[in-house]
Order: sequence, then structure tokens, then C-alpha cells
Amino acid sequence: MRHSLRNLLSGAALALLAGLAPVTGASAETLRYATIGEPPSLDVHMGTATIAATIGQHMFETLYAFDSTFEPQPLLASGEQLLDDGRTIVMTLRQGVKFHNGKEMTAEDVVASLKRWGEFGARGKLLMANATSLEATGPYEVTLKLSEPNGAWKSMLAFPNGGPVIYPSEIVTAAAGEPIAPENYVGTGPFKFKEWRGNRHVELVKFDEYVGVDAPADGYAGARVAEVDAIRFIPVPDVGTRVSGVQAGDYDYAEFISGDLYGVLKDDPSVKIHLSGAPIFGLMFMNSKEGPLANNFELRRAIQTALNKEEALRVSVGEEALWKANGSFFPEGNIWYTEAGTEAYSEGNPEKAKEMAAAAGYDGTPIKLLVSTNYKTHFDQATVFTRQLADAGINVQMVVVDWATLLKKRAQPDQWDMFVTHHGNIPDPILLTALNDSYPGWWATEDKTALKAKFTGTSDLAARRAAWSELQALIYEQVPTIKVGDVYSYDIASPSLKGMGETTLIWPHFWGVSK
Amino acid sequence: MLAYVLKRTGAAIATLVAASIVIFIFIHLIPGDPIYVMLGDEATPEQVEALRIRLGYDQPIYVQYFYWAGNVLRGDLGTSIFFQEPVTLIIRDGAETSLLLATVTMVWIVALGVPVGVLAAIRQGTWIDQGLSGIAMLLASIPTFWVGLYLILIFAANLGWLPSSGYPSIFEEGGLSNLRYLLLPSLTLAAPNAALILRLTRASMLDVAKEDYVRTARSKGIRPYRVVLRHILRNALLAVVSAFGFTFAALISEAVVTETVFALPGIGRMVVQSILRRDYPVIQGVILVIVCLYLVINLLVDISYRYLDPRVDLE
Repeated sequence: MRHSLRNLLSGAALALLAGLAPVTGASAETLRYATIGEPPSLDVHMGTATIAATIGQHMFETLYAFDSTFEPQPLLASGEQLLDDGRTIVMTLRQGVKFHNGKEMTAEDVVASLKRWGEFGARGKLLMANATSLEATGPYEVTLKLSEPNGAWKSMLAFPNGGPVIYPSEIVTAAAGEPIAPENYVGTGPFKFKEWRGNRHVELVKFDEYVGVDAPADGYAGARVAEVDAIRFIPVPDVGTRVSGVQAGDYDYAEFISGDLYGVLKDDPSVKIHLSGAPIFGLMFMNSKEGPLANNFELRRAIQTALNKEEALRVSVGEEALWKANGSFFPEGNIWYTEAGTEAYSEGNPEKAKEMAAAAGYDGTPIKLLVSTNYKTHFDQATVFTRQLADAGINVQMVVVDWATLLKKRAQPDQWDMFVTHHGNIPDPILLTALNDSYPGWWATEDKTALKAKFTGTSDLAARRAAWSELQALIYEQVPTIKVGDVYSYDIASPSLKGMGETTLIWPHFWGVSK
Repeated sequence: MLAYVLKRTGAAIATLVAASIVIFIFIHLIPGDPIYVMLGDEATPEQVEALRIRLGYDQPIYVQYFYWAGNVLRGDLGTSIFFQEPVTLIIRDGAETSLLLATVTMVWIVALGVPVGVLAAIRQGTWIDQGLSGIAMLLASIPTFWVGLYLILIFAANLGWLPSSGYPSIFEEGGLSNLRYLLLPSLTLAAPNAALILRLTRASMLDVAKEDYVRTARSKGIRPYRVVLRHILRNALLAVVSAFGFTFAALISEAVVTETVFALPGIGRMVVQSILRRDYPVIQGVILVIVCLYLVINLLVDISYRYLDPRVDLE
């Protein structure tokens, strides 16, 4: 009896060990990317979720793409001609580009996609609202006519987040204002859609018939070569698990690692850090429609004066390498960087703020600050600001909710006076949410409208830069929103991934990457 | 017996209807809106309104409820707003992970909790008993996420013996060997529950040991281990076995933290994520299924009493 029990036990132990031995996930050519969550839809036209752009850019392509200096280069387009002072844009398309369903891309697909994006897309109206006509003027030629020149047109056609990717015309026509269903995810990219299993993964596989640009890869522009057979995006919500997963070799790449782990991970040989080259910045919006801040620019400036941004960034991010107290809406070195107005960025002067508030007629009315706990940095920053404002005698009441509630509440002007959010990196100031009149906060003063018209009404870069400087100065004067500061997120990769480069432009991409 | 089962089933259905109304109302009472979550940060008011009408959320809540309940009766739990996929499919996929995780965890709980509980009871008052009870208290008190992260660090990141996270279905590539993905999560989840079963086994053994018939058995000269196994344990297990049923149901609904730490695609994590996204059909569907599970297990436990203890009269 004892003997047989021992046999049984050792047999069980052997079986267990045999089962333990091969610790591999998918096949060797599958790149496994641990994401923080799941995308709402991969129909890039309709939403601006970062994760949708990260995944989507491998399948869907735009007419232009940014190179490493953020200059748009032709991708599905091969070139363009500007006529009538930039009011008419004639784009020539690259020939022989295949969709994943085997069909060749022609002007018809481009026109249908751009029209849908302009009508229903998250960012489409910014460009297409001024379009007087959009037509296929040849099998590989598209002509866009605008009522006013728009200097940002190429950047807007190159930005894939909520951007004008090109789908086959029949899919676009069938979907119209509805999100495209997963089985119809058809694009021209180096990877094609394989499956989306909710809660498990999104898998893309190499598209063998991909026809790329004949130029060296540079940023998102140039050749896009799929070196791995498949990419699997796996939701791993816990940051500790994402890190251990890369260390253990279960994932090749993991995104959004928290700042407190940076110190440990930068010296860890089992992972490689990829710092984002494009900072995310916190914003605190003011309500321009209702409440004590609606038209009181003086009071808003008092609030601005009370805030010390370094303090908020140190508390909310920690690690010094991951943040920069930068008052410009674009990082230094970017063509849109300007210091106009930024002397007011982070004064942190409660006494001065108190005087300014008194002069603005502030009577101690509570100011409702809407903030969500889903993003810890938002909450930390709001907490620091509330304290700093209290020191200046400004009475802030934090309204703490979850993100889904915040999104709904902020659309109702009577529910808040200020709210905290963040903004991703963008290629052109026109994409700033604060410049959008219908974005919560609803900043639409005459000064803004005039300056915005000046900014978009020319395609001359020098004139546009000058107009943007004035706009940024106006933001510091009318304070529709307060910039907290630049935060550089970072991801980690397995050291065996080749071709990733040192930093990530905006979203990590995996063409040209092998393992 | 049949009458009893019918009566209980009727009560279960009434409970289910009441629960479905409560679930529906509570979910719609949470502020927030799935539309904004779906469309993202920069959606225009027109986009929001169009999607709201398409999803039927412009209708009064009772209309929405009857529409939903009518579909449920036809076996259609609706379509996830977020995944645009039938809720039944989503639950089916998550249920495999959750049921397997709960089953493997139950194996640990039974294999560790009961024998150790018996040992502690036999050695009552000695250092063995106190040591085991101390360990049990410790396991019951340590937060699961902490245990989980340490197990990952040791067995996946450092030793490389087991996968750190995720769970590919056993019906896919890898087959039954994919169960190794559930080893660490099941141990994590088993720790506090095994500790409770240990305490319960011990307490119930000690209770039964005070019974007259145990004294009689001992005075008749029956060997001590026979008294423990046949007279004490068998009767003590009555209480423990009924706890197994509820523990199993609880493992399905309470595995959220473990599923999150180990990135398991189970229904616990699904429901929490769905609450954050306000994906009403998924939340309603999953909670309804969990309520059904509780009701069925409850019924089975009640009926099983009749067989475990002939003195119980179900009529």
C-alpha cells in the first residue's frame, strides 16, 4: 500500500514537471503585446482611443504618415499639387496598393473613406467642414477643394488617431455612421485582422501581399516590413503582471508602466525601457458656459497664479526623468514650440493669487472640480491643486467620480466648474481639444475665433507659427484650460526584440521589428 | 420529495425575476454612460445622440427592461455595447476560465483544508494545532493580490517554471497542458478559502467529538483512528460539504482580483471591466448567470442534505 502510494506520488510529480517544462505562449513568430485594456472599436475613423490607434495603425493606413521629425510624407498617396492658393489639393495615389481582401485601392475608396471621416469621424470635421468638394478626378487622383486654405491639411491626413484611414469603398458605404464590425476590418497595412476575442486578445497576422513605399523606414513613413508572422494584443490590466510577464518571457512588449517602477527597471537586464518621445500632458479645463468661472478671466488667472506645477508633477509622477514642467503646449524642439504666455505657467504664488481673486470679485463660492480616480495622476494633481488653491483662499470642492461618470458629467455645464483630463501628443495645434469649440469647457470667445481663423486660413508655415504663438498667449490670458506639464510615459520590451529603436514616436509600431 | 423540488424551483424563479429587476435598476442608476466610453474623449454631441438612439437608451427604463427581459426569455442576453458581440458568447468564453479555475481551486481547498483541519483537531491544543491555526489565520488575512504577485515573481519571473499570466483555452493549441496557466492563480485563490475550510473542519470535528456516541464508541474500545475517521469525520463533514457548494459559487464571482493579477479572461474580471465601461448588457447577463448559479447550488445543497443526513426532513 505504502509502496504504491509512493509510486503514485512520484508519478504525479513527474507528470506535473513534464507539464511545467514548455513555458511558451503562442508560436515563436507571434509578438505578444501586453496592453493596459481593450479598445472600444478598431474603427479608427470613429474614436480617439490610444489603444485603437496603436493596434489600428498596423492594419489601416493613411494617405500620409509622419517621419521621425513629424513631417508628413506620402504613404498611400504618392504626391500632391496645390492650386488656387492651397484651396485645391490634388493628390496622386500610389498604384498597385492592395487591400486585405485582394482589391486594389483606387481613388473611389479614398473619396468614400474621407467623406465618411468628414461626416461621422471623431476629428474629420476639423478639415472637412470647409470642404466644398471631394472627387475622384482619375482612377488614382483625388481632388479636395476647400473654401479656405488649411495649412494643417497634410498633418490631419497623416494622423491615424481618430484619423482618415482608407477602407474599401463598399465597407465604408455599408457602415456609414455605424462603427465598422470586426469582420469588416479591411485595410492596406502590413498586418491584417485575424480575430478579436473579447477579454482574451486581438490578433493581427502578416499580410503577404503588402505593397509598401519604396523608401527607407523613417518614423511612421517609408517602408513597412512585417518581420513577425503575427501580433497579439493581450489585455493585462495589472501593471505588476505586465512587468513580470515581460521578465518571464511571456510577453515581448508591455505598455504604460508606472513611474515608481522606473528606477528599478532601468537597471534590469531582463527588460529594455522605451521612453515615449511624445509627452502626454495634463489639462484642467474651465467651464466657459456656466458657473463662477464662465466669463471671469481674472478669477481664472488668479487660479492659474496660485498653482505650482512642479509640485503637482512631483507628487503625481515622481521619477524626475519622466516629467518636465513645460508651459508650452509642444515640447522643446518641436516646430510648434513657443514660450508665448508661459511666464504665467507655474507661478505658485498664493498671496498674489489671493489679491487677484479679490479683485476679480471672488466671494468664496465653492468651485466644483470634477476628477476621476481611474487615472491616478489626475487625482493626485487635483489633490495638490485643491490644497494650493486653498492657500490662496480659493474654495475648491473636489467631485470625485469614475471616468465613465466624468465623461457624462462634463458634457453637462451645470455639473462642474473645472475638470481634469490629459491630452496626447498631436502633430498640429489645430488638434488641441481646447481649440475645438464644442469640447467640454466650450471656449469660443471672439478673440479665439479670430485668431483661429488667422491660424487655419493660411498654409504658410511662418504665418501659422506666429498665429499659434498668439493663440497660446491667449490661452494663458483667458485660461480656458490650464496645462499641468509634460509626462513621458514609458513601455518595456524584451531585450530580444530587434528594430524597436530607443524611443517611441507616439504609438509603438511593430513593422520592421523582429524577435 | 418531488413536491419539495417543485416548490423550491418555483421560489428560485421568483427570486430570479426579482433579482433581474434589481440588477437592471441598479445598473442604470450608476451615473455615467456607455456612449461616452464607446466614442471616446472627443465625441461630438451629435455622435453621442445618434448612438444613444441606435442602442435604444433614449427609451424609458421600464420599456428597456421589458425589451431586455423578453429577449432573455428567448435565450438572448443581448449584444455587448463594447465588443459588439452576443453576451452569451462572451459569457461562454469567460465561463470556461472561471469554472476551471474554481474547480482546480476546489481541489486545492479539499486536498489541503480538510486533512490539515482533521490533523489540527486531533492534535487540539498542541503546538501542531496552534501552528496550523496560526498559518491558516495568516493565509486568510494576506490580500490575494499580494500572494498572486509574489507567486508570479518567484515561480514565473525568477524560476521560470510556470507562465506568469494569461490562460489559453484547453480546447486550443496546448490542450490540457494549458492547465498549468491555472496553477498559480488557483493556489492564490485557494489560500484564504482553504484556510477557512481548515478552520471549519477543525471546529466541526471538535463539536462532533463531544457527542455521546463518540464517547460510547471510544469506551467500546474501537481503535482511535477508526473513531476519528468513521464516527467523527463522517459526521463533521456534513457542515463542511455544504460549505463547499457556496465556496464554489463564491469562487466564480469573487475571483476578480485573482483574474486581474493573472490577466485571466474570466467572467469576474469581465464584469468589473464592463462596469467601468457601463456595458449594461454584459453586466446584466453575467450577474444574471451568477444569480442562477447560486440558486442552483443552493437547491442542490438543500437536496443533498437529505442524502447526507437521513434525519433531515425536506417536506
